[in-house]
Amino acid sequence: MSRLRNPWGRPRFLVLVTIVYILWSLIPVAIAVLFAFNNGRSRTTWQGFSTRWFTGASGSVLHDPALQGALKHTLLLGVVCVLVATPLGVALALGLQRWRGPGGGTVNTVMLLPLVTPEIVMGVALLLLFLQVLPGIGLGSTAQAIGQVTFTLSYVVVIVRGRLVSIGKDYEEAAADLGAPPHDQLLRVLLPLLAPAIIASAAVVFAISLDDFVVTQYLSGDASTTTVSMLLYASARAAPTPALNALATIALLITLATLALAYLVYRRFAGSDDAVAMVGVEV
Amino acid sequence: MQGEIQLEQLTKAFGEVVAVDGIELTMPAGEFFTMLGPSGCGKTTTLRMIAGFERPTSGRIVLDGVDVAHVPPHRRNVNTVFQSYALFPHLDVAGNVAFGLKYKKLSRGEERNRVAEALELVQLGDYAKRKPSQLSGGQQQRVALARALVLTPQVLLLDEPLGALDARLRKDLQVELKALQAELGITFVFVTHDQEEALTMSDRLAVMSGGHVEQVGTPREVYEEPGTVFVADFLGVSNLVSAEVVGSDGDGCALKVGESTLKALRGDTGARGAVKAMVRPERIVVLPHGSEGENCLNGLVEHTVYVGSGHEIHIRIVGGELLKATVANDGSTLDYEQGTAVCVHLPPDALRVLTDEGHTAQHEGAGEHLPSEDYDEAPGFPGRG
Amino acid sequence: MSSRWTWRLLALPGIAWLGVFFLLAFYAVVAVAFGNQNTLSEPVPFWNPLDWNVGYMLDTLQNIWNGDQFLTVFVRTFVFVAFALAFALVIGYPVAYFAARHAGRYRGLVLLLLILPFWINYLMRMLAWINLLSPDGLGTRFLSSIGIERLFISLNLLSAKGGWLEGQPFTVILALTYGYLPFLILPLFASLDRIDQRQIEAARDLGASPSGAFLRVTLPLSRPGILAGMVLIALPMFGDYYTPDLVSSSTKTSMIGNQIDQLTRQGSEKVVGAALTLILAAVLLGLMFYYLRATRSADDLQEA
Repeated sequence: MSRLRNPWGRPRFLVLVTIVYILWSLIPVAIAVLFAFNNGRSRTTWQGFSTRWFTGASGSVLHDPALQGALKHTLLLGVVCVLVATPLGVALALGLQRWRGPGGGTVNTVMLLPLVTPEIVMGVALLLLFLQVLPGIGLGSTAQAIGQVTFTLSYVVVIVRGRLVSIGKDYEEAAADLGAPPHDQLLRVLLPLLAPAIIASAAVVFAISLDDFVVTQYLSGDASTTTVSMLLYASARAAPTPALNALATIALLITLATLALAYLVYRRFAGSDDAVAMVGVEV
Repeated sequence: MQGEIQLEQLTKAFGEVVAVDGIELTMPAGEFFTMLGPSGCGKTTTLRMIAGFERPTSGRIVLDGVDVAHVPPHRRNVNTVFQSYALFPHLDVAGNVAFGLKYKKLSRGEERNRVAEALELVQLGDYAKRKPSQLSGGQQQRVALARALVLTPQVLLLDEPLGALDARLRKDLQVELKALQAELGITFVFVTHDQEEALTMSDRLAVMSGGHVEQVGTPREVYEEPGTVFVADFLGVSNLVSAEVVGSDGDGCALKVGESTLKALRGDTGARGAVKAMVRPERIVVLPHGSEGENCLNGLVEHTVYVGSGHEIHIRIVGGELLKATVANDGSTLDYEQGTAVCVHLPPDALRVLTDEGHTAQHEGAGEHLPSEDYDEAPGFPGRG
Repeated sequence: MSSRWTWRLLALPGIAWLGVFFLLAFYAVVAVAFGNQNTLSEPVPFWNPLDWNVGYMLDTLQNIWNGDQFLTVFVRTFVFVAFALAFALVIGYPVAYFAARHAGRYRGLVLLLLILPFWINYLMRMLAWINLLSPDGLGTRFLSSIGIERLFISLNLLSAKGGWLEGQPFTVILALTYGYLPFLILPLFASLDRIDQRQIEAARDLGASPSGAFLRVTLPLSRPGILAGMVLIALPMFGDYYTPDLVSSSTKTSMIGNQIDQLTRQGSEKVVGAALTLILAAVLLGLMFYYLRATRSADDLQEA
């Protein structure tokens, strides 16, 4: 670095690395999205713009049963996962936060373990559980939903507890002081204050569920339990049409729209710093 | 009149740490009562026990003749103004004030009237539809007051309610709070670490330290006649000189300080042996070296500090101890400078004999081991912070 | 009823869920690994630790010890992960540093662009590269036209023209780097962002040059973030099987994840698969403990 240039300026080398990295990280995906609109069967040669792979009469996401089925099943799993993991996680977060006495530490550790356990280990564990211990449930949609809930639960707990800590105990005490019995302290004060965190965690759960691959694949049953991620894995190398890109693009848009919405809601109620932390929750 | 609180052998321990150690206090109905002390002295924990947020380890909290120690907070007719105000951010001002009225089974109209009255009382009638985040600190403080007072509590508890405000606003609100209390006639229990605030606002105050009550009295009593070394030191500036009682007569005693003998008329003049002699800086008279008279000590001016309204003179007396004397600003320049030999006159009726009895000696260091008064850091709440 | 039980009651469903679907599931792996298998190669788990059969675990360990297939795969996995971690750090640190310290008014935008890949389906990001690196793909043509393809062939990093996706270890390493880099940058960013600007100013004030201040203040203070980020991406990398599958699909680049996947999900020998899963989990647990110890001593350093 030269001594002559402005010592308070941005180091040009860092600017360059950052720009190159961002381009490298996003352009391949952008090209893949672009080719979803290719008016031809190729994913490598541009043949003009078209939405045929989204809505065309044959082989499109809208009309190919495999693609359409995968998308539907993915969204179904996402919704179920949100509906189960969110209330379960909120209750667990509340319970853990107010846990007095022994046992709290152990539960805390166990609750965090799914966040650091490699998915393949969870996949194998759940696979053997459903085959050996719970053959009544077996593999398939139910097992997939249970598997996804098991590790998205921790995200809900982490997000909700973060908010609980920043809320503090004063509001609850104020409610009690003003005559509110315990269930009203929860319903009239704590839950309204937690609403942004609950919405945010629901969005995060939905996005993670949509993108999940390993656990979902390990617990899948027949072809009807194929998700978008599984289809991408199965056909990426099999010379498919741009319909696969179209499918991935739709899933991507749904994920990003969900998160953007949650971000806006969260920022409206809880401040922008917390919102950034919410989107970067896996940190 | 309603709203008398008696604390009987009240104790609160967080695990090994005893935050409040068997205190006995009576807070008469209709008084402005202050608990004053440094952080960790147990004042906030005591207040939280009166409010019901902490359950006493042992002892009784008698409110108008009924022991409420184990009554949950929502069933006690006492209300709290929190240090953080704790206004519900999802409700507007009217919603906050109406929060507790929901449990009073009032008609809609009556509820509205009570909310309006309470807001008028704190001069916030026009702010009913604002959200707490749209109010200034002082306004939030008033909403917190209105929210508590609308429930017509027997006792209002205030936990350092002025702590978050800037100095000027603080002064204004001190006056207003005191006036409000006088107007309503209900008991206010006020917690602060600010001795000036405590002295100016209270009808009666309790000075606390290390989980004990050091002294209870009117502001004048506590300031003029501190009962312990701790109280003397905590309230205002005090000079505390080691001395030995060498004799006493009917109304006073003789103290030996270094080689000199002083006569003291105040305090525990019947004491024996090693004591502390206390004198306020404004009562010390600084005379030129060689002045004759009783109750004089020789010393050297170590340095002088100009403080606007006067001078503070630090004098090293024979025996090595440092005395602070204040001299009022009368327009003239000070005759003394560093190194000047002077004679310090300590009037017998300004000299107070304090023994280290009571709790001070054994608890002076204890405060540092106590948890911070912040709820977050109090032991017994795992998983926070 | 005391309120402490209300709260525990609230936590109960979640605890029960984790107990069954996480702890019990993990115990199922143990029971299978120390169990037996029937004539159809289906596992027969032994639930009582007193009945445990260590035969399959010993066989698996012996396979590793003797330098057979499993050792090869383990070593390859470590090499791949080590290279990918190194590449990721070399690229990720300057980027995170720029975003935290120098992005100025573009900070929000830069942060958004860094978070974005985080939320793009991992498999879609792999699909994007498969499109680009297929024999007639845009990327392949580009790399060929600027001479990189020839260079890589001469360096023995690529075996044939247009063969980027045909069992090339280098491709797998780059794919891992690409795949997991976003997950490294965010913790790095967080730890660099936390560093008090005044500490760096103090270093400059005390005579340190910009690079001196970086080496003696910023870098040591960001060490916990570096460690956290590396562990965060190393853990899933060790369990990865889909990346090598997608960008190489050759047994020459099989990682430990592929081996487990083949034995368990694809079902050839679940008992050995369970044993291998346990060994992997033990290795990763060791990694976690090392990380926790390292961060604890770093915390002590900061508090001192």
